[in-house]
Amino acid sequence: MPVQGARALSDLTITEPLNRPVAALLRPCEIRAFVENVKQTQGNLENIFIISCTCPGVIPASKLLREDREEILKNHSENIRNSCGACLEFVPGQQADMTVLVASDEPHKGTVIYLHTEKAVEIAEKLDSCTLETGKPPAELTSGILEARKKALKDLMRDIPAPGDGLQSLVSLFSACIGCRGCREACPLCSCILCDYETARTLHSPELVRTEAKRKGSIRVPAGTLQFQLGRLMHISPICTSCGQCSDVCPVDIPVADIFIRAANLVQESLDYAPGRDTDDTPPMATYVEKELPSITD
Amino acid sequence: MNSILKDLLRKALDNGIVSSVMVPSKGPGNSFPWTLVSDVSALQRAEPVPPVMSVQGAKALASFTQSMPEGKLLAVMRPCEARAAVELSKLEQIDLDNIILLTMDCPGAVPLGEYGEDGITEPDINDPATLRPLCRQCTGFTSAGDLCLAMHGGLNAVLPLTASGQELLDSLGFKAEADISGWEEWANAQRGERQVTRVENMENLKEAYSGLQGLIEVFSGCISCRSCRTVCPICYCRLCFIDMKDRRSPASEHLERSRNGGAARLMSNTLLFHIGRMAHMSLSCVSCGMCEDACPSDIPIGRLISMVSADTTAVFNYSAGSNPEDPLPLNTFLPEELHEYED
Ligand code: SF4
Ligand code: SF4
Ligand code: SF4
Ligand code: SF4
Ligand code: SF4
Repeated sequence: MPVQGARALSDLTITEPLNRPVAALLRPCEIRAFVENVKQTQGNLENIFIISCTCPGVIPASKLLREDREEILKNHSENIRNSCGACLEFVPGQQADMTVLVASDEPHKGTVIYLHTEKAVEIAEKLDSCTLETGKPPAELTSGILEARKKALKDLMRDIPAPGDGLQSLVSLFSACIGCRGCREACPLCSCILCDYETARTLHSPELVRTEAKRKGSIRVPAGTLQFQLGRLMHISPICTSCGQCSDVCPVDIPVADIFIRAANLVQESLDYAPGRDTDDTPPMATYVEKELPSITD
Repeated sequence: MNSILKDLLRKALDNGIVSSVMVPSKGPGNSFPWTLVSDVSALQRAEPVPPVMSVQGAKALASFTQSMPEGKLLAVMRPCEARAAVELSKLEQIDLDNIILLTMDCPGAVPLGEYGEDGITEPDINDPATLRPLCRQCTGFTSAGDLCLAMHGGLNAVLPLTASGQELLDSLGFKAEADISGWEEWANAQRGERQVTRVENMENLKEAYSGLQGLIEVFSGCISCRSCRTVCPICYCRLCFIDMKDRRSPASEHLERSRNGGAARLMSNTLLFHIGRMAHMSLSCVSCGMCEDACPSDIPIGRLISMVSADTTAVFNYSAGSNPEDPLPLNTFLPEELHEYED
């Protein structure tokens, strides 16, 4: 996944809706991210026909730059990203018009396509070499994969610290961070033109940096490495679609996505929000409820 | 840490000749973050020449020195980092008045992606395979800033390069080195070898990627993560030209391009971004290689910009970061110039 599909689709539709139908081939996490983009007014779904698949996961880009990449491609399932191995939503939701069966427990013959909308049925009439079905792919076709991924997600949640496990664990995790902000740029949901953590409001003033160095004896510069990560966690964890792109770009192999996925799971559960499910769900940060989150407030 | 350097940093801080030192330190795991040190005891973790370049030193320095009202700062950095600091001072991002730059015979840096226990652990100046591509062809590996720690040709001494460097040595009671000819010989020979590699690499690059088609090819793997821009010390704009709203194309224009060409690339600004960055960087690029090191797609971005920069700086007879007194070519007005490009 060189560029997260939602970013590409946002590049296409950010200024105006498409005036002619365009078919977009997207993985499930790319669809979910684009649905969130639409809510952020960073894209438009009009005239887009979405073709998706039961997703087998993607190989980290860095592995494909290695010399043994043929081998890696052959053993696809063993080489997918951590985040893909722990992804429970690899079957597209209601936004897809068609789903091609790619990942399934048992090998299947030929091309099997599930049609979800009238438009899909209409288009599929001409696909005579494929097996066509209507409705969602039956859950039992992929239940084995789902079980394995649930286990992987549990392991990930256990192994990766998140805020709450102590600041020190995060300091260590991000100590090698070079501040390239690739994680932010690659993330389909970080769509601000100017990141909050590049503004005068949040940047540490030269005076403050020098005063802190005097007070503590020594400090890390540029300041704000962790502040940026914590800020991004705060902005993104309610809507993170667990796509793994942020880990993929990190030049120093920090498991950024694992950290975000863990935080996202915890945050989204407590906010009862599923990013990308439906354009009509209001994002938690845009919703005001008079009485909420009693578990935290009481 | 080199014992002479250690001695110098301690004394300078202890005697109050400088009020703080900026130097990389050993962090958790195998990390080497920059630190601003004002307490001598924190110098214990200092790692003045770490195996990797995690953040370009000039970028770290610029994060707190736009103005430097009181107290002197001693910054220990690689020569390319010091040159970037000089460029940034011309660009008004660093106030060098109260800053002393101390560099060293740079061994080079291990590529970030190859550094680690099961990879390469130390750069070896004599083994190019342990170095980043731009380090292999670096001709400015020593003698930048105000002082330079010389460690070759029989020397192990800090040499003054400017009046403020000399002043620091004097105030610490460091004696001048009588004979530096062995070291000069070493530096000249090393520079000569590197120059050969540099010219060879530039020729190869030019051959492999010439013209617009070549640029399209070399950037075809670019994922638009903009890390090359973010880590570059010279790319200091808070909001880049390419991210302005008016650079966006309407959907209809994308469709039009796709219809005309059969297909159109999305993230359509990729090439414009790189060409724009080359134009903005080329006169001030210090060939530090930070951009290339951060690129997750292994694009030879640093070598490319450095190559373009070799041509443009030659036109203006300018050398980025070498002399703080040389004005930036784009800030200089001459009534008569560049006639050869006019007709
Ligand atoms: S934070 Fe990472 S995993 Fe989450 S949506 Fe952004 S890129 Fe994907
Ligand atoms: S971290 Fe926050 S402010 Fe920065 S780009 Fe992402 S969403 Fe925007
Ligand atoms: S991609 Fe990695 S190195 Fe770059 S800012 Fe994010 S965590 Fe830091
Ligand atoms: S363009 Fe690349 S090589 Fe040149 S100064 Fe910037 S980071 Fe260094
Ligand atoms: S760092 Fe590499 S992939 Fe990222 S924008 Fe620059 S050239 Fe492209």
